[in-house]
Amino acid sequence: MPDEMEEIIQDFIIESQEILDSLDEKFVELEKDKTDQQLLNEIFRNIHTIKGAAGFLGFNQMVELTHSTESILKRLKEGQIPVTSATMDVILESVDYMKSILQHIKDGDGAEEDLSGIIDKLKAVGKADHPEDDTEANTTGNAVSGGASPEKRIGEILTEEGKITEEDVEEALKVQEVVKESMDSTTEPKLGEILTAVGKTSDDDVKKALKQQGRPREVHKAGVEQTIRVDIERLDNVLNLVGELVLGRNRLLKITSNLENRHPEDHEVMALSETMAFLNLITTDLQLAVMKTRMQPVKKVFNKFPRMVRDLARPRGKEIDLIISGEETEVDKSVIENIADPLVHIIRNAIDHGIELAEERERIGKPQTGILRMSASQEGNNIVIEVEDDGKGIDIRNIKDKAIEKGIISPAQAEVLVDKEALELLFMPGFSTAESVSDISGRGVGMDVVKTNIARLKGNIDILTEKGKGTNFNIKLPLTLAIIQTLMVEVSGDVYAVPLSSVVETVRISASEIRSVNLQEVIQLRGEVIPLVRLSDLFGLTAPDGSGTYYIVIVDEGQKKFGIVVDRLNGQEEVVIKSIEGGLLRGRESDIIAGATITGEGKVVLILDLAMIMETIAKGALSYA
Amino acid sequence: MFDLNIKILVVDDFSTMRRIVKNVLKQLGYTNIEEAEDGADALTKLKGKRFGFIITDWNMPNLDGLEMLKEVRADEELKGIPIMMVTAEAEKEKVVLAIKAGVNNYIVKPFTAETLKQKMDQIYDRLNK
Repeated sequence: MPDEMEEIIQDFIIESQEILDSLDEKFVELEKDKTDQQLLNEIFRNIHTIKGAAGFLGFNQMVELTHSTESILKRLKEGQIPVTSATMDVILESVDYMKSILQHIKDGDGAEEDLSGIIDKLKAVGKADHPEDDTEANTTGNAVSGGASPEKRIGEILTEEGKITEEDVEEALKVQEVVKESMDSTTEPKLGEILTAVGKTSDDDVKKALKQQGRPREVHKAGVEQTIRVDIERLDNVLNLVGELVLGRNRLLKITSNLENRHPEDHEVMALSETMAFLNLITTDLQLAVMKTRMQPVKKVFNKFPRMVRDLARPRGKEIDLIISGEETEVDKSVIENIADPLVHIIRNAIDHGIELAEERERIGKPQTGILRMSASQEGNNIVIEVEDDGKGIDIRNIKDKAIEKGIISPAQAEVLVDKEALELLFMPGFSTAESVSDISGRGVGMDVVKTNIARLKGNIDILTEKGKGTNFNIKLPLTLAIIQTLMVEVSGDVYAVPLSSVVETVRISASEIRSVNLQEVIQLRGEVIPLVRLSDLFGLTAPDGSGTYYIVIVDEGQKKFGIVVDRLNGQEEVVIKSIEGGLLRGRESDIIAGATITGEGKVVLILDLAMIMETIAKGALSYA
Repeated sequence: MFDLNIKILVVDDFSTMRRIVKNVLKQLGYTNIEEAEDGADALTKLKGKRFGFIITDWNMPNLDGLEMLKEVRADEELKGIPIMMVTAEAEKEKVVLAIKAGVNNYIVKPFTAETLKQKMDQIYDRLNK
């Protein structure tokens, strides 16, 4: 049954990947509490599990490596060798190799890793405190390995630990009985409390015992949760169908409304209105529910950062505490896939340039350990992700100098920039802050790519910084990618859709109010100079005759405002974005179009990609100042 | 050998492993197979339907193989069900504990279909002496 095998191997890859991913976090947690027995047991079991399946499927390299790692983990969990940072470094390295091996299996390229180095290191760790060789050490007494023990009594745990004797436990139990009876209450005094009260144990011991007894921590796939694996294509299909349904509903709403106006007394029409109201609610609910199926907690992305921060900070002589909050906040899968790279780059920057060396921090009176905060939260229709550090902040002067140096702006322009605008320079293509080309950014990611990635998710990124105090990167992402509110505008008879979330205001002006500064058309609005872009220019439509009035849609795209010149405003409409297959649009047009949609009247309308349009203005960079 | 229609319960917390074992059983002709992801889940399923055979892993959360074995052997209705433990090469000392607790046989992973058949036949023969 070759197909069956194929599926089993696929399953193996997915599940092992999940396990390996979860291991990074577990190790960092382990480092914080090196005696966490439950965690050690769990990690051991995870590796053991992968080894088992790999054995069946004939993935020999994986078996070899997991076997060696498993031996070490066994010793660690049985307390034969101590948990040290050095030991964990080696194990983490082996986990990395496991990931590579898994990748090879995934790619089916038959490539092999050179495991000699890591296996030697693992052996060395094992031998360090133990004169015996690789034969599994015999454990007398507690033969149960791996699996979390079924709920043990506190008395048992404490006795095993040697904290108290069996007699102590018996006496305490007697006390418990007596107290229960005499007080005639329904609350039974806890055994741990009694033991502490008579001085046989301490609060700490009881706490540790309770922890050991506690519910087994979540297994890599969250134990008994009810889930099914669904092909992502199927979900996308459902999402698409719902999108169409929403469009259909929008059209029905319009038609019904028209009918209501024309025949307000007609009973059929009234019945239709009622039904439409119901359908409307249900469709909205359906839309939300389907969106939710694609949503996952942000921690899927946040998970890899504790380890990354640890791995980056140490060799750089920096001590950094990563505090994560809001990891349960849910976002669309596409966000999870695309937000990781930008976050990685921001964190690397914070570690490289933001947080100072430990001695430096001490010198200036800051706590030696730098704080890096990562948080996610939902604000209305947006997801807000923040990365904040308490480092030295961004030097605005430095930025300006660099920009001048790279020819992005002139010294004169630099002078006029306020801090907020100067920070925007960081996002300019060609502005790489890598004075020291650190190893980390192997992909040559600059802040401009970060911004583009975020723009691709239709989000925004803002920077707040204070010299000496720290920096805050604030990323806003819309919750729903496919369905948006738009403002319909008309130019030379063609209708286009402008995403409403970016629209700040609309103004009506006469042609004479348009000025020209350095070949860039602008208007002045309450003292602010706003650059303009004519839709007719962008799409090569017949230019209007230059007289008369226009409407300007003022848009705010990531801190930069600009105005779109149109002939008419046609009102708001909620639409479903449909992407356009390649080749239908040519050249410049395809850049500035985010997609298309069908309106309530059945017309096909192109949706503007404001971020891209802004780029075209920016490339005439800051010439409006 | 066991009737090919008996209901077999495969217990392991790793779904890939359950699939693998199921696959091997299928190769031997057994198709009436159900799965459980830990000892507790297994007990629930066992109490619900009539199972003719259990093949289980040792290390699992919630209720591990050994504990589940003890519970099965202590239950009036379930105690007669033949149980095979799946163990890893290095866990042989646990086999002693399992035998004490009433396991019928053990098999070391990774195993082939032939080995599984041999071991299952061993159990069958002993039970039907």
